Amino acid sequence: MELVPATDQALPPGFLTARSGRATEEYFINMGPQHPSTHGVLRLVLRLDGETVVEVVPHLGYIHRGIEKQAEAQTYLQYLHLTDRMDYLSSHHNNHAVCLAIEKAMGIGVPERGEYIRIIVDELQRIQSHLVFFACFGADLGALTCILQGFKAREYITDLFDAVCGSRLTMNFFRPGGSVRDVPEDFTDRVRAVCGKVDAMLAEFDRLLTGNLITKERARGIGVLPRAEAIALGCTGPVLRGSGVDFDLRKKAPYGYYDRFEFSVPLGEAGDSWDRYLIRMEEMRQSLRILEQACRSFPGGPYRSKEKPAYRLPTGTWFGAVETPRGVFSTWIVAEKGEKPWRIHSRSPSLANLAALNPMCVGHKIADLITILATIDPVIPDMDR
Amino acid sequence: MGLIQKLPAVVDPLPGGRHLVDAVDTIVNWARANSLWPLTFGTSCCAIEMMASSMPRYDISRFGSEVFRATPRQADLIILAGTIVDKMVEVLKTLYEQLPGPKYVIAMGSCTISGGPFIYDNYSVVKGADRIIPVDVYIPGCPPRPEALFHGLLLLQEKIKKESLRRPWVDTTLHTAPFVNPFTRAALEWETQEKEREPAAAEARAKFAAENPDFKPFKAERVLPPPMPDLPRPAGKGAGLPHGELFDLVRAAFPSVVLHKNEGADRASVDALPSDAPLDFVVPPGEYLAFARFLRDEPRLALDLFFDLTAVDWEQPPAPNGATTPLAHRFHLVVQLLSTVHGHLVFFRVPLAENEVPDDSRKTAVLAEVPSLVPLWPGANFKEREAYDMFGIRFSGHPDLRRLLNPETFEGFPLRKDFTHPAMVKRPY
Repeated sequence: MELVPATDQALPPGFLTARSGRATEEYFINMGPQHPSTHGVLRLVLRLDGETVVEVVPHLGYIHRGIEKQAEAQTYLQYLHLTDRMDYLSSHHNNHAVCLAIEKAMGIGVPERGEYIRIIVDELQRIQSHLVFFACFGADLGALTCILQGFKAREYITDLFDAVCGSRLTMNFFRPGGSVRDVPEDFTDRVRAVCGKVDAMLAEFDRLLTGNLITKERARGIGVLPRAEAIALGCTGPVLRGSGVDFDLRKKAPYGYYDRFEFSVPLGEAGDSWDRYLIRMEEMRQSLRILEQACRSFPGGPYRSKEKPAYRLPTGTWFGAVETPRGVFSTWIVAEKGEKPWRIHSRSPSLANLAALNPMCVGHKIADLITILATIDPVIPDMDR
Repeated sequence: MGLIQKLPAVVDPLPGGRHLVDAVDTIVNWARANSLWPLTFGTSCCAIEMMASSMPRYDISRFGSEVFRATPRQADLIILAGTIVDKMVEVLKTLYEQLPGPKYVIAMGSCTISGGPFIYDNYSVVKGADRIIPVDVYIPGCPPRPEALFHGLLLLQEKIKKESLRRPWVDTTLHTAPFVNPFTRAALEWETQEKEREPAAAEARAKFAAENPDFKPFKAERVLPPPMPDLPRPAGKGAGLPHGELFDLVRAAFPSVVLHKNEGADRASVDALPSDAPLDFVVPPGEYLAFARFLRDEPRLALDLFFDLTAVDWEQPPAPNGATTPLAHRFHLVVQLLSTVHGHLVFFRVPLAENEVPDDSRKTAVLAEVPSLVPLWPGANFKEREAYDMFGIRFSGHPDLRRLLNPETFEGFPLRKDFTHPAMVKRPY
């Protein structure tokens, strides 16, 4: 096959960097949308100089389901279950954000037990999502034991969700004013048991991957995202905190009862893949801390406030935001008269974090691109909505 | 394989030959059914359950299918895990055609069966993957549990075990395959059967009623949930600068900027606003860039993080007599900024008037233009592309203004209120 030097061609759409003028031939590779390392149907077009990445252009929309348009023809509660399917690794958080917006609009309060249920379920989901990150990060490094072990640990939490919500993945558990049903009687005991198991697994993971020399070599100094750039790109979550920015919505703008719990927000220093990995591992431990405290003081009483026959939001714009495992997810509702929203917009943390992919990858080898993408921990249906 | 496929024609006529063909059938089918290699193809939620089913707890390798292949050329089964949308159709067709035969497809989850939760009022979801490629097994669920996936896999194995060399696996090309709607056919068969059974059933009913004159059908007692208290929402906990200070800082620099739907607001009324709802300013289009730059650079506000950008279309539906109300502004472009230092959010919106375009091209034409924020925040890149894709608002100065989510060939702008699409099925209730 004859290679045509890239200097003689027009650049494909999306590529903005000027040519370097070097003598080597640049070439383009299409990665995805069907590729095991893009965590779904993300399509990346890579511009390479030898094995070095010159520029990455993501192409989205291969799972664009038009949820925002569909929401305009549905009631708020019907929309609620669509948010499960956006970021399916943090469906409780998505529900939570929508419920917060509706509660603000209609002045619905949540009883104490309801807030505790929300926090426990949210933090369990955070651990669950980070376990999937651990599994996929390991698999992308070639350590296939990680994906088996990560999913094994994840199943403990999935079982708990199964018992609480009757579903393993798309739970649709929260409602404005609390949750759809009460938790089982032995809930706190089960949460404690799961926490113990996950804690033991985390210690194992540290021996397996964190202390592994190959992991360090593959992640340290790779995919550095400077602090200022992370902020300007609108990154949130572990990607932002990996660059040393102390921003966690649970601390900065606490929703629910998060200000009642003690936990710390781990921060990175270098902003490289290694920092982002360590932050997620530490966040799981902090979530375990929150769970322990919540189980200790888990109150009785009603689990939700009175259900409304229909949710008609007052005219205006309403906003709710939560810290998901990937960053800040927010719902912005424009309500006019009636049971249906005029417009609903969701802020997807994955989409903002994806903008950091190109700056992080430039100058690294193509194999590092896979690990950098894994440390962004993208969920593609969340980007595409 | 070539020889084996000719086997029935040669051997069947011989005395006892049928048994030989049957034996070869059994062996070939046994091998095929127990070594299905799936393609790693997962578009959304179901993919996580597909992954979970191949992990230690469920262990799909018990059924011989653990060898997930990343390339279609080495696989013989596609598990359609997740929604198929219009942009994915060509990719999926290519993948299917690259699969060497015999090839099988499992539709996992409601989305791939019928569009699932996305069937109504939706312009991009394909309403059933069998409109694109032939499907062997359907597994309902949203998402199906791993056990359901295994059930589907076993059903597929059963189906494969019924294949025979006498009826070889045919690679029917997509465009020539006749369309058979199995659901309608099954429903018709069911209806005829019901009609045939009806006289006998009526007789049995009459007999039962005569024998049990006191019979009352069981009625389940309705279990009502315990009554829950009607709680008011406590006052919100604001973050960062109080609203009053924010408002004063902004008004001091930009007197023409007002609060959305609260134009006459002063300091005292702003202080009384709920602290957990961000302030929402309306900026005249001429001051848009200057205002954005001010918010970013003002150290006391410290709105450094570009949180989000989106738009609202205010087109009202025509009145019953067909009359439309003209609008002073068609769109609101909404920018949301966040302070990583303090934690407060500030929204601002700029009303955009509609460009003059001929009526027939109004639905497909770009209707408004506004300067791009990419020079201020590189993070605005994707968000502005999304707003362009969804609303048809042009951002002048954007380095790479293309559609973000919809295909390049897509006509119209979905989030406009007058958008119509042939694939949008209206909800019947």
